[in-house]
Amino acid sequence: MTDDVCGRCGEPYPPSARYCESCGHRVAGIAGATDSPGTAEHGTAEHGTTGPGSGATAPACRDCAGPVAADGYCLQCGGREADPRDHWSDEPAPGTGGVCDRGVRHTRNEDAMALYAAPDVRVLVVCDGVSSAPDSDRASLAAAVAARDHLAAVARTEPAAELDAGWSEALVAAVALAEQAVLDGVGEMAERREPPSCTFVASVVTATRVTTAWLGDSRAYWVPDDGPAQPLSTDDSWVEEMVAQGMARADAVASPHAHAITRWIGPDSGDAPPRVVETPLDTPGWVVLCSDGLWNYCPDVEAFTAVVREAVLGTEGGGTAGGGTAVAVADRLVRWATEQGGADNITVALARHPEPGAAPSDNLPLDASDPKEL
Amino acid sequence: MAVFTAEVFQNEYLAPGTTDVHAIVTLACTGAGGAGSTAAAGAGASGEAAAEIVMVDTSGSMTGASLAAAKHAATVALDQIVDGTWFAIVGGSHVAQRTFPYPNATMAMVPMEPGAREAAKQAVSLMSASGGTAMSTWLVLAAQLFDTLPDVRQKHAILLTDGKNESEPRERLSRAVESVTGRYQCDARGVGARWQVDELREIATALLGTVGLIATPDEIAADFERILARSMARGVPPADLRVWVPAGGEVLFVRQVSPTVEDLTHRRTPVNPLTGAYPTGAWGDESRDYHVAVRVPTRSVGTEQLAARVQLAVDDVVVASGLVKATWSDDDGLTARINREVAHYTGQAELASAIQDGLAAKAAGDVATATTRLGRAVLLAKETGNAEATTRLRRVVEIDDEDTGTVRLRRDAARLDEMALDTASTKTTRVRR
Repeated sequence: MTDDVCGRCGEPYPPSARYCESCGHRVAGIAGATDSPGTAEHGTAEHGTTGPGSGATAPACRDCAGPVAADGYCLQCGGREADPRDHWSDEPAPGTGGVCDRGVRHTRNEDAMALYAAPDVRVLVVCDGVSSAPDSDRASLAAAVAARDHLAAVARTEPAAELDAGWSEALVAAVALAEQAVLDGVGEMAERREPPSCTFVASVVTATRVTTAWLGDSRAYWVPDDGPAQPLSTDDSWVEEMVAQGMARADAVASPHAHAITRWIGPDSGDAPPRVVETPLDTPGWVVLCSDGLWNYCPDVEAFTAVVREAVLGTEGGGTAGGGTAVAVADRLVRWATEQGGADNITVALARHPEPGAAPSDNLPLDASDPKEL
Repeated sequence: MAVFTAEVFQNEYLAPGTTDVHAIVTLACTGAGGAGSTAAAGAGASGEAAAEIVMVDTSGSMTGASLAAAKHAATVALDQIVDGTWFAIVGGSHVAQRTFPYPNATMAMVPMEPGAREAAKQAVSLMSASGGTAMSTWLVLAAQLFDTLPDVRQKHAILLTDGKNESEPRERLSRAVESVTGRYQCDARGVGARWQVDELREIATALLGTVGLIATPDEIAADFERILARSMARGVPPADLRVWVPAGGEVLFVRQVSPTVEDLTHRRTPVNPLTGAYPTGAWGDESRDYHVAVRVPTRSVGTEQLAARVQLAVDDVVVASGLVKATWSDDDGLTARINREVAHYTGQAELASAIQDGLAAKAAGDVATATTRLGRAVLLAKETGNAEATTRLRRVVEIDDEDTGTVRLRRDAARLDEMALDTASTKTTRVRR
């Protein structure tokens, strides 16, 4: 971990700091996580997917966009300084994008996502910090970035044809690296009774299939342009365990334990391996990853299908080739969840299958795959 | 170099739909240096001095032991005034007279040095008592003397009287107090039991000083020594308390609550549309507590915002800043809690007004109101742990039940004890931490 200095007053601060001790400027949550070892090669920067806060802007209020004082609060309305961690979107390719948002009721965004796109491989990672454990926002971002970086590195170094069979292994390795990144990132916080931790779901989308790995209750769906959505993951949750043991789903969902997750990433996770599922893709549609901030408002497949379809149809180009860009669809879904109450952080990441404009299965040179260069 | 700190005590959690935020802000200063030493952060002018005026009652009622004691006290005061400090002595009756520098001197005030000190002591020894009492003339003369030193920012006076302001209508005193407010600070002292607490309190409150009762003339000198030592230790020129509230918000009240209760709400001067400044006078090495209450527009559950910035500004430079926050929550466990400091000082402020109301009612012959209000005071003194107030209340009322505030007025209560209770009513105790 490098010695970070406050962007406002230049004083150094320890990695665990949230606010600068000298001037009170908010410093936490961004630099530490994106500087995790996985980004050393900066292989992802070529896609502009460096996480929240990568664009330097003058501090502004998150409520009224007014000027913010050195104490981190708006000079007009007293609102907090807009934290780039609160809301950000990412769009490594037109068919690959996502939005990560604080929602309405939570004071902090503990969700995170990390995306990658090359013409033949897309990577989506969504993590949801466990809000009962402090600093889980750092854990979730560190985990998502580490996993994404590993999968992107594999995609760049291995021929696509060979890998097509091997993404399960890469995903298991990515989870192990995410676990390590959380441990490295949280430092002494690992000793807490409730150390920072997060859920994990990642999908690798190729020309022929989607491979999904998960721990916890962030979900992946395949939403074909026609027909119902298909869940790609099954929650690691108390509800699902009870249902598997024979309890009626309605009873399990009504329980106060319904939201408890049974597996996660973090110092106290017990190194549980992720479950991995491969699903062939032979029709056009969307791979959709989301945190429970979205699916809590549409928990069953029918409702989820309807919500996604409406979001797709509402975007520009809706109803033709599967809707607008991935980030436009994600944005509509996040806004819909916000309108339902935004009780939790909301993250939605999508990959259009097939990626619009992608050559069917050629191994393009790496440089040519950079959208900025095209 | 003076160093300031600000500490905020509050419960920032608000129930949905609520708007009012209360906080106690503790401001502390260390390294203040001495008066005129320009130790303040951002103080520019070098060699700048302070100015001190001692006003002594020379009305006819002072004749005898009182005047002798007052003259002695004035010489003690002269010994306390640090060399280099501008000073003057004023004798006051129904008119005010400059005792030193002598009326025929060309300079209205002179810098203290050994020769001036001896000359002033000589002038004090020649003071004699005659005439009535019109304190407005004393206050105005002091202001005129201070005005001859436009570059000196720390101006402090002591006013000593033994009697009622009988030679002029009350409104004239009030008008004079108003006209000199902001031009200097003044501690007011009454000796004996024939002066009016409300008159001296009006002067001291407006002029950011203290009011005090001196029971017997032989205690004047020690009191003057304390007052001047404190004044000479104030190395930070008059500072402002600044309170910022967000757009759409309003200040409900701003009140100093320690060491004494002083309502500052109506002394606001605008700094900008969202910020007001309240005078706090000069600072030494000390700590003061302020109770700030603001009303902000309610926001949705989960929102955190700043409800007030409470700052101390010296020479328009902010030297300490406390952040008062508001976070709306639907967790009753968080929002129902009342902060200990806020509760303590809310009780102490009410204690001060209960004592003053009770004594005023007693003086007006309204036994029922006096009994109720002083009973309430007994209860509040107990609840907030103000043992000194309880001791003073006991001399004025018989306490039947401290826990319910059941009292009877003492028929034999001495006027001096009632005045002592009244004078000290605004003194607060701090929260035990």
